[in-house]
Amino acid sequence: MDVPFGFVPFVPMPSEPTLRWAARAHSIAEIESELSRIWAAQDLTVHIDGEISRHIAARTNVMNLIVVARRPELAERCAATVQALTGRHPSRTIVIQSADPDGPSWLDARIEAHCVMPRPDAPETCAETINVTCGGESGRHLAAIATPLIIHDLPVTVWWPGEPPLTSPAARELLAGADRFVVDGSTWSGDGLARLREMAMLQETSRLAVSDFALVRQSRWREAIASIFDDPEFLPYLRSLRRIAITYATHDETGAPGSTNLVKPIYHVGWLASRLGLHVVRPLSVAGAGRVGAAAARSTRGSGTKPTMGRGLVATLSDGRGEVAVVARPVMSAMPPGTTLRVELLAERRGSELRADVTAEAETVHVRVWQDGVEALDRHFRAPRRTDADLLTEAIETGRRDPVAVGALRSAAALIAPEGAAA
Amino acid sequence: MRELRLSRVGKRASRAKPIENVLREGLRLERVPDPCIVVLFGATGDLAHRKVIPALYHLWRTNLLPHEFLLVAIGRRPYTDITFRAEIHKALEQFSRILPLDDDAWESFSQRIDYLRLDFDDAGGFETLSTYLDDYDAEHATRGNRLFYLATQPSQFAEIVGQLGRVGLDHERHDGGWRRIVIEKPFGHDLDSAKRLNREVGKVFRESQVYRIDHYLGKETVRNLLVFRFGNGIFEPLWNRRYVDHVQITVAESIGIENRGAFYEQTGASRDVLQNHLLQLVCLIAMEPPATFDANALRDEKVKVLRAISSDPLNPATDAVRGQYGPGWVAATKVPGFREEQEVDAESETETFVAARLTIDDWRWSGVPFYVRTGKRLPKRATEIAIHYREVPHRLFKDEGIEPDANLLAIRIQPDEGIMLRFGAKVPGLRLDVRSVTMDFTYGSAFNVDSPDAYETLILDALQGDASLFTRADEVEEAWGIVDPIINAWADASAPSFPNYDAGTWGPDAADELMVRDGRRWRRI
Repeated sequence: MDVPFGFVPFVPMPSEPTLRWAARAHSIAEIESELSRIWAAQDLTVHIDGEISRHIAARTNVMNLIVVARRPELAERCAATVQALTGRHPSRTIVIQSADPDGPSWLDARIEAHCVMPRPDAPETCAETINVTCGGESGRHLAAIATPLIIHDLPVTVWWPGEPPLTSPAARELLAGADRFVVDGSTWSGDGLARLREMAMLQETSRLAVSDFALVRQSRWREAIASIFDDPEFLPYLRSLRRIAITYATHDETGAPGSTNLVKPIYHVGWLASRLGLHVVRPLSVAGAGRVGAAAARSTRGSGTKPTMGRGLVATLSDGRGEVAVVARPVMSAMPPGTTLRVELLAERRGSELRADVTAEAETVHVRVWQDGVEALDRHFRAPRRTDADLLTEAIETGRRDPVAVGALRSAAALIAPEGAAA
Repeated sequence: MRELRLSRVGKRASRAKPIENVLREGLRLERVPDPCIVVLFGATGDLAHRKVIPALYHLWRTNLLPHEFLLVAIGRRPYTDITFRAEIHKALEQFSRILPLDDDAWESFSQRIDYLRLDFDDAGGFETLSTYLDDYDAEHATRGNRLFYLATQPSQFAEIVGQLGRVGLDHERHDGGWRRIVIEKPFGHDLDSAKRLNREVGKVFRESQVYRIDHYLGKETVRNLLVFRFGNGIFEPLWNRRYVDHVQITVAESIGIENRGAFYEQTGASRDVLQNHLLQLVCLIAMEPPATFDANALRDEKVKVLRAISSDPLNPATDAVRGQYGPGWVAATKVPGFREEQEVDAESETETFVAARLTIDDWRWSGVPFYVRTGKRLPKRATEIAIHYREVPHRLFKDEGIEPDANLLAIRIQPDEGIMLRFGAKVPGLRLDVRSVTMDFTYGSAFNVDSPDAYETLILDALQGDASLFTRADEVEEAWGIVDPIINAWADASAPSFPNYDAGTWGPDAADELMVRDGRRWRRI
């Protein structure tokens, strides 16, 4: 985008973020200098009918957001998402992308200040975006770029779309100075489970609060499932769960493990297990076969026979009184691979049975419950799917570690058998 | 006796802990509202159009209402469903806090509005209403859950409640169908009428079914008072008679009475604001920390404050001031006096301004006056609470001829919600000059997000059965117990020469004198 540099005059519209300052820089020092100029500039005022009407009241006092976008198109998409945030706009967003990793080191930055007047009678507040592109080796030292640019004393969130190399030194260094780490596990390649374990490890060994869009996105499912047990008649069954079955979409007609991202289905189980205090008796394994992994996937590929849909994965949990069977089952569907299609719960208590079936569509979640075979609840919730901006808003609005998210990730990781271990 | 007490304690201790829905933790709502029908009485009125229905629309738009939801709008005018929906659409275009309207959300919301014409004295009409609701429950799985919302003239409250009781619409069903009633302020006209109304409501609904609404308590910044006081460790030690000199609470309005002349003639500032909004703010500032954050614990503490105020009744002659505005200028506009407003008696003695000095006779606040004031046609719209701290005990800088002002903590409720702390600082330079400076926190710069309207918060709470932000019967009566003596004394005495302040000023001189007598002055806002 071509923007004029320096002060950009305009008349503000309530709620519309408007570009008020733009500049270019080629070093961290130049970026810092431009940022100082933004706030020192005397002419950052609004002219309405030729009159100076309003001074910029303040920079928002919320947080630093560092976005690591390895590709330009990803960086643009992320910047658009940040612009679309409806609330808690970060005070400073630093979007880092790298280019020409084998060339010489260089840095090119575009600095912008966007201001918004929430209401006509409210003071105007501003936020800054620094788009940094690094060439050569400098692009491998993310912390060295981001750390000098963060606003003191404000929390730091790192949003790493795509596939963050969680065990790389660059990631470790950057995350060491962060408070929150935002990812989207549902976009990871393969089944995504190995990286999920790495992320759980990161959570256990650091003070980072992890927000995974894959988990945040499921809140409408969780609301619906939790609502079943708001009913005092069904509540006692909550501690007598005997089966959790998740049906998920796949585009692989073999339904072979490893072919479809399983992060979202496994989060459902992780959430339920952590909330209900269930521990893993037997980790996930291929239904009727061995351990989850590429070997199982390979067994159905290249054999020349028409593949049959796999039965998915199974695991066993326990609440200390009895076992809880877990099934994650693939179904061919037009929905994106890994999308949860159905969550089924079965609970048994004193000879009585409660069966719940939860499904979701674009705008609604549908809950049905049968008690001893008789339909006892049939309810729709209005709960549309959420955009990345909604998810990012929710992720950054959570101040500290969310114990529910911590528990869900920990339990999900516990379900995944360590690489090389026997099921 | 001791054995009996011990056995009770033992019994309590051995009682099984109630099962909790552990899946609820961390979710957006503590409970998703149950499927339900909201029955809105007074649906064609101003309050319904400006506040109640826009709040329901926004709750719907943000997916905070259940899918199985119906609004039964009740009024006496001859609307059909279609014409009433069109009226509401117009009202939303005018009063919705977010515009333009979301067409999809409106389309689905409007399909859930039914209009029912009903005279409140028509017994047969209530039978029809009951059947109508039962039929809808059966067809649309709203499960017998009903919220009755009285947005009518206060004089109609008792009649509607009686009719609801007569046709059994108050009865909660054994299979879980709840019945709740929201009653708008003013709740009563004085202590006797409040008690009478409480009795009438109590004949039909249990206290736990009654939600007396004071929308001030639903305001984001008022709710934040609780967080500010009890969620921060550094303020509480300074929140008592040892450090606080006095407290000032101002609820100032720059507008007049708008089109509410007849209503305001019967009410006045004491009933309209002092008895509810102002005393609620006093309660939130002065209350002790509740043991838990539940409705009754919170309201118990507020009632203790009200009792501590009434235990040392104020002298209406010396501790309260009334005023009425005359013509003047507000915001560069010439405005008429109260007596020239529509539907106002030309000789009216209704007060449009009230100021009072309250004392709270308890351990924490003994000797700390709370000055409260509210008025119409004041220079600006502002609601603020100011905690004025004591002077430093030893004047270290007195030889320098400089004395910093005492510290001040100001909590702005509206507009520009925020918190300001004033303290003294040395002016840079070779001389030892001290000047008061402020640390100013503005909500807008930290939370760049729209707050829900108070009605959205309160209606959602009522649908979820959370009464924390609603007033309880004893709370209402205690508040009237404080205001009644003032109103009665004024009724007995001849009114001051009204009007006694010009529109666009900060009230009558007597309000300033109230402070000057104590060696203080109103804070400049």
